[in-house]
Amino acid sequence: MQPLRVDSLVKNYVTKGRPTLEAVRGISFEVRPGECFGLLGPNGAGKSTSMKCITGFYSPTAGKVEILGLDVHVRPRQARLHLGVCNQDDTLDSDFKVIDQMVQFAAFFGIKKSDALIKATALLKRFDLFDKANDEVEALSGGMRRRLQVARSLLNDPKVLVLDEPTTGLDPEARRMLWDVLAEERKKGLAILLSTHYMEEAERLCDRVAIISKGIILAEDSPPSLIAQQIGTAQVEEELRPGIRIQRAPNLEDVYLKLTGTRLSGAGGK
Amino acid sequence: MTSARAIYTVWHRYFAVFKKNIWYGLVTTFVEPVLYLTSFGFGLGVMIGDMNISGVPVSYRAFVLAGIIGQSVLFVGFFEAAYGAFIRMYYQKIFQAIAVTPVTLSEVLWGELLWCATRATLSASVVLLLGIVIGDFNPLGAVLMIPYCFISGLLFGALGLLVAAKSRTIESISYPQYLLVFPMFLFCGVYFPLSNLPSWMVKIVFLLPLAPILSIVRSATLGLPFEPLALVIQLAWVAILVPLSRRLMMKRLVA
Repeated sequence: MQPLRVDSLVKNYVTKGRPTLEAVRGISFEVRPGECFGLLGPNGAGKSTSMKCITGFYSPTAGKVEILGLDVHVRPRQARLHLGVCNQDDTLDSDFKVIDQMVQFAAFFGIKKSDALIKATALLKRFDLFDKANDEVEALSGGMRRRLQVARSLLNDPKVLVLDEPTTGLDPEARRMLWDVLAEERKKGLAILLSTHYMEEAERLCDRVAIISKGIILAEDSPPSLIAQQIGTAQVEEELRPGIRIQRAPNLEDVYLKLTGTRLSGAGGK
Repeated sequence: MTSARAIYTVWHRYFAVFKKNIWYGLVTTFVEPVLYLTSFGFGLGVMIGDMNISGVPVSYRAFVLAGIIGQSVLFVGFFEAAYGAFIRMYYQKIFQAIAVTPVTLSEVLWGELLWCATRATLSASVVLLLGIVIGDFNPLGAVLMIPYCFISGLLFGALGLLVAAKSRTIESISYPQYLLVFPMFLFCGVYFPLSNLPSWMVKIVFLLPLAPILSIVRSATLGLPFEPLALVIQLAWVAILVPLSRRLMMKRLVA
């Protein structure tokens, strides 16, 4: 039984009873214990819709999602006890102080206040936010809010962590910190589903990636295998600036651009 | 975790915010009804004195004080849900965050509605207490009105949630506010007996949820005749608005 299993997921958006957009058209994959699985694709490819179906926020049109064998749409309460989610949007509860926000959120997992305080304190320390514990969430910088949101997603000791663009807006130092924390959690068996626009990040963090476009998975494998299959092993030439050309090893971004046929919309391009 | 427990944790989130901003909560809960009472009850009341409604003698002050109960439930229930829920859904995205924990979106929206009803009941209770203390209300009837105000708060909370669900921007909440909520407040009989209006207008106004509520509140607190039709109309509104507002908000969020 895998931590996360997505089986033939389909999601159509329906307006006035008629399907208007087939956002996800049958995607399947599994994430194993301790594995980081990347979902890569251009804006509008169906990444976020998939993520929302996987967390049980959206009901899929067809297909199913299982967390530790529990169907997230049939038994959301039991399944999501083991799920941590860091949305793409800032969903922090800005009516609270940092520490109270954590304790309050833990209550949704049935975690008692005394236990929640211990967990929250440990997480704030790991994310270098402990000195902000009694500050208002409102007063945090964008990067701190992002870190807090990831810290919050680990409160319930999840077995599956869904991270939708977690490092957007983080400075390099904060990004490293997040990577380190994720690596530690993976050693303990946490399965991570990550969506990102940063190919360098995906190549570094993900054991396997799926490249999706127009709601279907175009290719799925480990980054080195994908590069070898799609681009080959020979050096590629790239023009950095007018007149300045270099030879370099092929990377995941080359695969991404070849398969999706788009220019990257986020940062991270070389 | 049971569903009731899940709804309670959501309700408790609102309560925690209320406790944190307790001074804001107390000022808005206590000061507003007292201001209205002083202005209309004591100020205007002196000029009007006693009235006779359906054969029952009532001072204008007592009449208005009972009216302010309905007004508080309307304003607090509606505004907490319309603006509050819109902010929580659209800007803070709190519904989206909670609805991927073991708590479901349906439970989040129950917690939201029950909190709006709680907040409205708190405000109404202040007025009820005031009415008992100054001797204008029948104490037993006034106490009975506490659970009744909770149901009424649920009604206006649902109206607010429906407005939040259908509003594209926070500014557009002004339309139902000026075209429905303020007219209800002005014409449903908070400050004058409905019988002062032309009879065709009474028929329309009595179908709006505030007028029947005021009728029930005044029969319990002031001993005016009880109108069973009022209760039927009000409960019908609850039965329509609560499921409808929840359905529309869910539709907006989960497409």
